[in-house]
Amino acid sequence: MLPPMLLDPAAAYPKVAVLRAALDSGDWPACRETLDGAEPVERTCLTTVAAETEGITDFLRGVLSGDPSDGAAGALLGRHLAGSGDFTAAERVLVDAAARSPLDPAIWTVRLRTARGLRLGPSEARRRYDRLAEIDRHHVPGQSQYLRYLGGHDPDAAYDFARTAAAEATPGSLSPVLVAEYHIDRHIAAGHLDDATVHTELDEAADRSVHHPDYRHTHGWVRVTSTFAMAYALIGDDRAAAGLFGALGDHHSAQPWDLLGDPATVISRYRKRATGGEQ
Amino acid sequence: MITRLEVDGVPALHAPADGPMHAGLVFRVGTADETLPLRGITRLIEHLVTGAPGSTGPEHTYFHTRGTPTEIADFLSGVCTALRNPSADRIAEARERMTAPRDRDPLPMWRYGARSYGVASYPEWALPGLTTDQVGDWIARWFTRANAALWVAGDEVPGGLSLDLADGTRQPAPRAVTVLPATPAWFTGPDGTAGWDTVVHRDAGAAVFATVLERRLQHELRDRAGVAEDARTEYEPRADGTARILALAEAVPGGQDGALGGLIDVLAELRAGRIDEDEVGTVVKHTGVGLRDAESRGARLPGQAFNLLAGRAVQTLDEALAEVRAVTAGDVAAVATAAYDAGLLMAPGTGGADWAGYTAAPTMSETVLDGRTHRGRGDRNLRLISGADGISVVEGDVVGTVRYDACAAVLAWPDGARQLIGEDAVMARVEPTLYRDAEQVVHDVDQWIPERLRIGMPPRDRDRIPQPRPATEREEEPVDTRRPLITLLVAGMATLFVVAGGLGVLTMMLTQGPSGGVLGDVGEYGLVASASVLFGTFTGRIALDSAVELRRQQHARNPARSD
Repeated sequence: MLPPMLLDPAAAYPKVAVLRAALDSGDWPACRETLDGAEPVERTCLTTVAAETEGITDFLRGVLSGDPSDGAAGALLGRHLAGSGDFTAAERVLVDAAARSPLDPAIWTVRLRTARGLRLGPSEARRRYDRLAEIDRHHVPGQSQYLRYLGGHDPDAAYDFARTAAAEATPGSLSPVLVAEYHIDRHIAAGHLDDATVHTELDEAADRSVHHPDYRHTHGWVRVTSTFAMAYALIGDDRAAAGLFGALGDHHSAQPWDLLGDPATVISRYRKRATGGEQ
Repeated sequence: MITRLEVDGVPALHAPADGPMHAGLVFRVGTADETLPLRGITRLIEHLVTGAPGSTGPEHTYFHTRGTPTEIADFLSGVCTALRNPSADRIAEARERMTAPRDRDPLPMWRYGARSYGVASYPEWALPGLTTDQVGDWIARWFTRANAALWVAGDEVPGGLSLDLADGTRQPAPRAVTVLPATPAWFTGPDGTAGWDTVVHRDAGAAVFATVLERRLQHELRDRAGVAEDARTEYEPRADGTARILALAEAVPGGQDGALGGLIDVLAELRAGRIDEDEVGTVVKHTGVGLRDAESRGARLPGQAFNLLAGRAVQTLDEALAEVRAVTAGDVAAVATAAYDAGLLMAPGTGGADWAGYTAAPTMSETVLDGRTHRGRGDRNLRLISGADGISVVEGDVVGTVRYDACAAVLAWPDGARQLIGEDAVMARVEPTLYRDAEQVVHDVDQWIPERLRIGMPPRDRDRIPQPRPATEREEEPVDTRRPLITLLVAGMATLFVVAGGLGVLTMMLTQGPSGGVLGDVGEYGLVASASVLFGTFTGRIALDSAVELRRQQHARNPARSD
């Protein structure tokens, strides 16, 4: 009997549930309290809650009309609108939000998402990433967005970006996951993971991140660990994958497993294969 | 200290100045007073009168020189004498001197259409056919004693100076009427340049805003993001109490999307009021230094002479300084908001700027006129409609309609082709080869359009005349290559600018920088030089006949259209 699978980020990060409840009940002070008390990466990750919450457009627009300089409201509304695929509406909110809160990494992270959705050119995406990097050189949610942007335009640039960002990251941090993300994307697009170089690069990245003694369970760790597990599972290194599945315990991240199909089904299958059905 | 006086009935301003003496004679006439059929006539007269550098701007034309008192007197008296005798030979000589192609600024046309301030965007169509009578009439109306002002910077007004000008009346500046249904707006401009302009109330706060904007653009686009070689703004005060502010950023190769995005962000930042007192203080201080410097060189005089012509008060240095010093960050923020709301973006590339909250400026007509329909030869998609009210050309969902009562000009080729240009700048092209019985339409157009709106064009080479293509051939062609036909028929607004490179416009701005020469620009009060820099003209081949270029432009103009 396999253990239960906790795919909801709220299982690993209690603030997700708090923010959801605050958004659902239209309690802006509670939303702000949750976001303001979060670390920068945690705060940016929390804004994705707005992408999945329905019926909050009017609420957030109301908050913004009361205080146009509330960057948290701008980031949430932008993320929410981008999540529903309306990148133009999102960007219109974000242009103003970035103008009023130019040092908010969550806003620049969403603007990297909209740059991809709106098919803006590489020089504009780069400008946005540079603005983000000026605030935080290792802002992993924004790095992931920029990597995905580059992946759609210039795989070589994506590869360089992932490797450079991983190499420059603080040992034991989340950013080296970009190497795993890059290889998974290339695998989905071109099926190239059966390559010794890929394995070496994954090992190097994991050594600087999930396998590093300083690796901590900060916000984002489930997805990062799960991403490495998926990359190892895809190249057939069951031993490494099993180790990471073990570290995850009951926690799992739907992304990037959803690239392969229904996450719960896919994770079960790969976990079973990696662990020999023991976990 | 500026003194007011009068020389031969011409109002004059005199002030002492460091360095060589200089003086200028300005007339209240410019490109905004021209019509399309007379486009270029003012600059032709400028060249007719003098070989020295003069300038034709939207509202003013001036003749300026430096030298000894005698040289200055001779020069200005010579200008007046030359205006009295515009012989056919001298018109021909002047035309010869004006053949170099010049870049044109596309923004005015998108804001004002084919009238008044928008005329500056068009080629100098009048040049080849201007008659001695037309030139004489133009001089009689505009280059008169009542419509002139003089400035002299130096020890004293030269004793031998006489201004023998014809009598006339003072001519007010034309009214600026926008054709943009909504702002902020955008249109697709040439590759490589991101641009923007706006129209705001004319005051020191607006001049300071223009400089703050320039500094921000240079910081964000050039220094920080590295997407632009450089960025510049221009502040162009107008007689009607408004000022145009223009910003241009020349992108590095591959950087135009970033330049546009950065421009959009900087404008949004300023609108949001992110302007600090220190920054405004720095700009105010520099402007003050510039004003003092301009005063010492006599470089404030031309601007004040323009004020005289507009019936505005002459401003002393102290008044100007006080007005600039009083500008606060709050004032600049208020200008920024108004400027943003009235803005017009010139977007390079194919993405436009809807995503940033700007509305697309109209590129074609909304209505098709009633009338007799002429189907395209072998092309069902193509229709030419000739009615009592005007002409419509329709291909698919692209419509070009020009009403006879709102027609700015008709280009007429010897082979029968006619291109109507509406006051809203939309064009409708009648190509007789492409429609059944189109000779009738050419006849209609020639009947309805008065001679004064007609612009005769030189003969076209045979391969420039479009031919209908057999249906079978069309079907085999990829969709992409069918496009030129549309552009030839409903040549949209953008197609006028095939030759006008934004890059050249910018280069001129950059090389003629703010402090170049004795007449350096100091915002509101400095000078003229800036106002005339962009309003160049184009006298070379008229750029309406290159299918390849037109297609490129059409793609750029409306990338979303799939036809």
